[in-house]
Amino acid sequence: MKIFSNKKNSPVLLFLGVILLLVTLFRIYPADADESRPSTASKLSREEILRLGERMYREGILPSGEPMKAVVKGDIPVAGTAFTCVSCHLRSGLGSVEGGVITPPTNGKNLYQPLASLHKYYAVAAAPPVRPAYTDKTLADALRAGIDPRGRKLNDVMPRYMLDDKDMAILIAYLKSLSSDFSPGVTDDAIRFATVVTDDASTGDRDAMVTSIEKYFTYKNNLAKYYETNRGRRSARMAESMLLSPEVIYKRLLLSRWQLEGPAETWRSQLEEYYRKEPVFALLGGISKKEWRPVHQFCEEHHVPCILPITDFPVISEKDWYTLYFSKGIYQEGEAAARYLNSIADGLNDEAIVEVLRDSPEGRALSKGFQETWIGLGHKPVVSVTLKDGEVLTRESLKRILISEKPSSLIVWDGPAALPELEALAGSANRPARVFASSTYLREGMWAVKGEARDFVYFTYPFRLPQDEAKYTGMVESFMGIRNFKGDELIILKRVYSAVQVLSQVLMGMNGNYYRDYLLDLFGMTMSTSGMGLWERDEIYPLYPRFSFGPGQRYASKGCYVVQLSKGPKPELVKKSDWVIH
Amino acid sequence: MPPHRLFALLTLFLLLAIVFPAKVEAAEAREKYKKTVENYVIPDVTLVDQNGAKVKLRTLLASKKVVMVDFIFTTCTTICPVLSAGFANFQRKIGPDLKDVHLVSISIDPENDTPARLRDYLKRYDAKPGWDFLTGNRKDIKKVLDAFGAYTIDKMYHMPLALLHSSRDSRWVRIYGLVGTSDLVAEYRELAGQ
Repeated sequence: MKIFSNKKNSPVLLFLGVILLLVTLFRIYPADADESRPSTASKLSREEILRLGERMYREGILPSGEPMKAVVKGDIPVAGTAFTCVSCHLRSGLGSVEGGVITPPTNGKNLYQPLASLHKYYAVAAAPPVRPAYTDKTLADALRAGIDPRGRKLNDVMPRYMLDDKDMAILIAYLKSLSSDFSPGVTDDAIRFATVVTDDASTGDRDAMVTSIEKYFTYKNNLAKYYETNRGRRSARMAESMLLSPEVIYKRLLLSRWQLEGPAETWRSQLEEYYRKEPVFALLGGISKKEWRPVHQFCEEHHVPCILPITDFPVISEKDWYTLYFSKGIYQEGEAAARYLNSIADGLNDEAIVEVLRDSPEGRALSKGFQETWIGLGHKPVVSVTLKDGEVLTRESLKRILISEKPSSLIVWDGPAALPELEALAGSANRPARVFASSTYLREGMWAVKGEARDFVYFTYPFRLPQDEAKYTGMVESFMGIRNFKGDELIILKRVYSAVQVLSQVLMGMNGNYYRDYLLDLFGMTMSTSGMGLWERDEIYPLYPRFSFGPGQRYASKGCYVVQLSKGPKPELVKKSDWVIH
Repeated sequence: MPPHRLFALLTLFLLLAIVFPAKVEAAEAREKYKKTVENYVIPDVTLVDQNGAKVKLRTLLASKKVVMVDFIFTTCTTICPVLSAGFANFQRKIGPDLKDVHLVSISIDPENDTPARLRDYLKRYDAKPGWDFLTGNRKDIKKVLDAFGAYTIDKMYHMPLALLHSSRDSRWVRIYGLVGTSDLVAEYRELAGQ
């Protein structure tokens, strides 16, 4: 545009500029562009249009397969592959607030009605101005030229997209379909959840999980009763007026227990049957000792959120959307061992590393976490020895490995049965400099490691250290009103506490927009219940030193300590690494 | 339900309502960015770059080149994509000066941002050599954010900042706001004395 304002430009340049502008305008806004005229897009099936539109919205790819092109901040060209609609407006299209920028909703339902204001609190914070409803024509103007229906300029953080009529029609069709009807499982006065428990988990663990959620739901539903009883009174009105979403306080939370029996291969049909009978808004919690994959896949295919199930075996994926996990489970311990060894790699001088793993779900997950991470860090795979089911790690077999491979680091992904052999290494001439094991796999056995072995045995420990955890226990017990849980049940209570804390914040943030993708969008944007300036917002949860999602993140806890046992009859864990090792 | 629990819940819900939108700032109203000149003391920390290499931040920032720093994270929504598209376009527009300027992005979500994720991110923005992305220990990152007056309690509230430094002057130019490439190039040229 500078070409027109700069008087030093020659008339020839000016003429060329005008021609170029006319050509561009003609191409982008053909004279016969008319909403009623059937576009090429209409020759496609509706399904195909929505699929192509979704790809534009989420991946920034045009129907032609080329990246979408746009300009932000006036002069920064961007390709859709770098960022696109979903980056700011999020998967649900309900928008976001981040880094001081308010991104308004862009789903058809909101676009095609007047925008009053996003929320009364935003009004004091310069929210996008009110506007009349968009039409197809004015929406196309907004997307191409950044002009709203009143002719005002949109914030130039909003990209101006170069789209022809055909592609524009496809994108607009998609926006109209986006978050158009509330997701199933929500009625005027209730939101229904289910929790999945499998019969391999102990009765005690299953009951602890379900009881904890029910306890919280009872609190929440009593709160709804309180508001209903006092509806219209001054105190209730005052409290309501301060809420981001007064609507949610009148909603009851309902919980169904979906118990899965028998082999994991049969879970899917049982889930389908439960879901057919009783569609739920989301799955909450859940517990299994087996791999979570069948439930994970059910959720992906039915687009049902699954909020923080209790499992050591989550699905490890960078792309899947519907299940939010506490962590990568036991896989994350293998990852931590690899990162720790990488962090001291300079001192290892390419000395050998050997991994012994049991052919069990735990052993395989630990090994996968270790090897994938180790190779990802640019190293060669380490020598791996597998113990078959029922095979015991003996002194002899261990000695053979140590003599032939001479490792300076030995990793043993096995249960408590391997501990005597690890301890016996103390007196061995072939003892490696360090031995790694998983605290989750060893369970209580970890604390039994004695004497000299404490000098060279390292454990992966995926929780806050016990000596730092006590105050969180009291906080959880007090909030949940449950004080008689011990051991595994207490850990379950703490996990449920974290799940319902974040859920309550997210439900409040939804402000009556009951779309499942929005629920997940908000989990990504939501850190914790309270900053208070005392702690970091993600440091107030039990079990994990830090617990937070970010947009699109699916594993809340990213860390795992490498620890050793201190000397003495009552050993403590001593950190040998950061929570997250780089 | 015991009254103290009801109270705790009420407090919680009220708190959420207040805390959530309180930090929202008036981006719509701000047309131009805010520029100040600042003195910063760079903390003596070692971070990790996109290749997994350890980097002493003081040494890196004491470069003879013009250094331009921003704070982003790989899964960030609105402002990081704009900042990063800005860095990428700056590299394309700066011409032969590309070799004289070092862009340094520092992750404010270091626990999720592994070197591999940093590499993927730079690739997504088609970064040229001379643009590094650092992660590290969270305490060290906090020290860096504190030193540059860029710390926020929640990564979702982080600031649209670009910090420029030339070896000709000990001071830093702080740009608050999302800027277009022509403005960024102009700021660079001014600092570089061109």
